[in-house]
Amino acid sequence: MKKKKLRIGFYALTSCYGCQLQLAMMDELLQLIPNAEIVCWYMLDRNSVEDEPVDIAFIEGSVSTEEEVELVKKIRENAKIVVAVGSCAVQGGVQSWGKDEPLEELWKRVYGDAKVKFQPKMAEPVSKYIKVDYNIYGCPPEKRDFLYALGTFLIGSWPEDIDYPVCLECRLKGNPCVLLEKGEPCLGPITRAGCDARCPSFGIACIGCRGAIGYDVAWFDSLARVFKEKGLTKEEILERMKIFNAHNEKLEEMVEKIFEGDGS
Amino acid sequence: MKNVYLPITVDHIARIEGKGGVEIVIGDDGVKEVKLNIIEGPRFFEAITIGKKLDEALAVYPRICSFCSAAHKLTAVEAAEKAIGFTPREEIRALREVLYIGDMIESHALHLYLLVLPDYLGYSGPLHMVDKYKKEIGIALDLKNLGSWMMDELGARAIHQENVVLGGFGKLPRRETLERMKDKLKEALPKAEYTFELFAKLEQYREVEGPITHLAVKPRNDVYGIYGDYIKASDGNEFPSESYKEHIKEFVVEHSFAKHSHYHGKPFMVGAISRVVNNWKLLYGRAKELYDAHKELLRPTNPFANNLAQALELVYFIERGIDLLDEALAKWPIRPRDEVTVKDGFGVSTTEAPRGILVYALEVKDGKVAYADIITPTAFNLAMMEEHVRMMAEKHYNDDPERLKFLTEMVVRAYDPCISCSVHVAKL
Repeated sequence: MKKKKLRIGFYALTSCYGCQLQLAMMDELLQLIPNAEIVCWYMLDRNSVEDEPVDIAFIEGSVSTEEEVELVKKIRENAKIVVAVGSCAVQGGVQSWGKDEPLEELWKRVYGDAKVKFQPKMAEPVSKYIKVDYNIYGCPPEKRDFLYALGTFLIGSWPEDIDYPVCLECRLKGNPCVLLEKGEPCLGPITRAGCDARCPSFGIACIGCRGAIGYDVAWFDSLARVFKEKGLTKEEILERMKIFNAHNEKLEEMVEKIFEGDGS
Repeated sequence: MKNVYLPITVDHIARIEGKGGVEIVIGDDGVKEVKLNIIEGPRFFEAITIGKKLDEALAVYPRICSFCSAAHKLTAVEAAEKAIGFTPREEIRALREVLYIGDMIESHALHLYLLVLPDYLGYSGPLHMVDKYKKEIGIALDLKNLGSWMMDELGARAIHQENVVLGGFGKLPRRETLERMKDKLKEALPKAEYTFELFAKLEQYREVEGPITHLAVKPRNDVYGIYGDYIKASDGNEFPSESYKEHIKEFVVEHSFAKHSHYHGKPFMVGAISRVVNNWKLLYGRAKELYDAHKELLRPTNPFANNLAQALELVYFIERGIDLLDEALAKWPIRPRDEVTVKDGFGVSTTEAPRGILVYALEVKDGKVAYADIITPTAFNLAMMEEHVRMMAEKHYNDDPERLKFLTEMVVRAYDPCISCSVHVAKL
C-alpha cells in the first residue's frame, strides 16, 4: 500500500526569512521532500497556494499587520498541526524589543506623518491569535531542529520539547564560562538549549535567541541577581533579557523582585 | 461605452526574499498604473534600537535580513567602529571581508539557481528540478554550502553571525581551517565559471531596455570589492558616503511599507550589475577575462544583466577570497580582538551587500545608540524596479494575463529583491 504523502505548508508573516532560508539550505531537504507534498512555500515555489488544507503548517514571523491576523486564523482553520518556527513566531522576535513604546511613536520616528494603505500593529507571537501545537526555537533555528521535527512528523510521531538551558550544553563542551569567568552578561542560564552553546563556544555572551526556557524553570530572578552583583542596573538587565523575551509575562516581575527595597 | 478592466495582480511574488506583490491597472489606452505592493509588516529597527546598548543593538541589526545578515552585521559594526574612533587591524579587515564574501557566494548562488533559473527552465521551483538538472542543483548546493561554511567558521553561524564584535572577532578559526577555506574556494572556481557560462546563455528581455543610472560604492585601494568610503554614480558623479543624504532622497509611497529613493530626483539602480558597470576596471583574474570576453552581455541598460553580473561576481569573489586569506595568513598568528573604548561619536559605513549599496549611519552616546539610519539596497531599487515592471507591462498588457504576470515577476526577480530588508528601515 502506498503511504499518503504528508501535505506541508510554509507560511511567512513579518520576519527576516531566516527560518525558511535555514530549511531551504539543508541538503537533507532533498531526502525529506519525496515523502511530503509541498502545498505552499512561496520562497521556493511559484505554484504555492495559501488557502488550502494541509497536515502541517509551519509559520515563520511575528504577527505585525491586521492582514496577518486574518492570515494566521485562516492557516489554523486549514491545518491539522500548526508549528511556530523561530523566535519571531514563537516569542514575537527582536521587533518586539520596542513593545513598551506606543506604535504611533515608532511609526512617527520612521515614517513621519506619511500613511500607507496597510494596517501595521505591534509585533506579537503567533500563539496570541491561534492555538500553536509545537514550537521550533531559535533565531534562526538550528538545522537539526528542523531535521528532528520534520523527521519525527514524517514518521507519524511527535517531537519532544527542550526544557533545559544553554549552560548544560556549554558545560558539556568544556567552554570557559562567559558569565562567571569572563564576567559578561551571558543569558545562557535562562535560555533554551539546542544550539550546542553556539555563541559561548566563540567566547560570545548568549543573547537568548532561542527564548527563555518554560516559565517555571526560567530563573530570571537568580540571573538578575548575578547581573546586579556585577553592576548592571535594573534597566540594563531588563533590556538585555527582553531582546528575545519582550512578551514573557513573568520576566519583569521576577527581575523587579531582585531590586525591591533598593530604591532603585 | 467604456471598457472595464480588472487590475492584474500577483498578491505574493514567489521565489524572492520577503512578501511583496505587483498590481497593474490597465485602462483603454494601456497601462495606467503599476505598483509594487510591499506588504510585509514594519519592524522599526532604527526606532527600537535607540537608547539601547551598542553591542546589543549590533546583535539585533543583522536580524533585518537573513539572506544578507553578514552584510548587515559587518556594515553596522564598521559604522559603530567609525563612530567610536576605532580602526581594526588590516588582517582583521581582511578576514571580515572573507566572511562578507561567504555571504556574497551563498546569496548569489541561492538567487541564481534556486530563484531565477526555474523560470528559464520552465519549473515552478527548484525542488522539481532535482531529477532532470542534477548537475545544476549540485553546483547550487556546493556553492551555497561553501558560503555558509565560511560564515559558520568566521561568523559562528551562517545566518545572524554573532562572532563579529567591536574590535574584531570573538574567536578566530585555526590556521588549518583557513588553509582549507582556500582549498575549497579553489575547488569551487570551475563551478562558478560553469554558472557564468550557463547564465550567459539566458535571455535578457529587451522590453525593459533603456538608460539606467547605476550607483555603487567606490572600492577602497582600487581593488574591486565590498568596502568603500565614496559612492560613485554612472553619470560621473562621486561623493563621500557621509553626504549620502544630499544626493539620495527617501520618500513614503502609500502602497509600500518600504520607502522609495531617488538619486537627484530620479530612480536609480544598485546591485551586482551596478558594481560591474561602475567598477569593471578594477576586476582582475579570471573574472576580468570573462568580462572582457562577454562585456556586451553585461548590459548597463538592462536589469536582467544583473543575473549574469552576479555569476561574474561568483568567479571574482572566489578568487578575491583566496587572496584575502593569503593576506591574513601572512600575518599569522592573529589576535582576534583589540580592546575598544566606547566613546561618543558618529559614523557612516557604506558597503556592497549582495544586492547593492547598504548604508549604516550610527551615532553613539554614553555607550548607547543615539541615532540610527539604515538604508538597504532593495529600498534604493524599488522606484527603478517599478519603472521596469511598467515597461514590461506596457509591452504585454494585451497578452494572456498569466504571461504578463510571469514576465513582470521575472523583472522583479532579476533585481534579487530583499523585501525584509527594505521594510521598516528608514531614517528618524
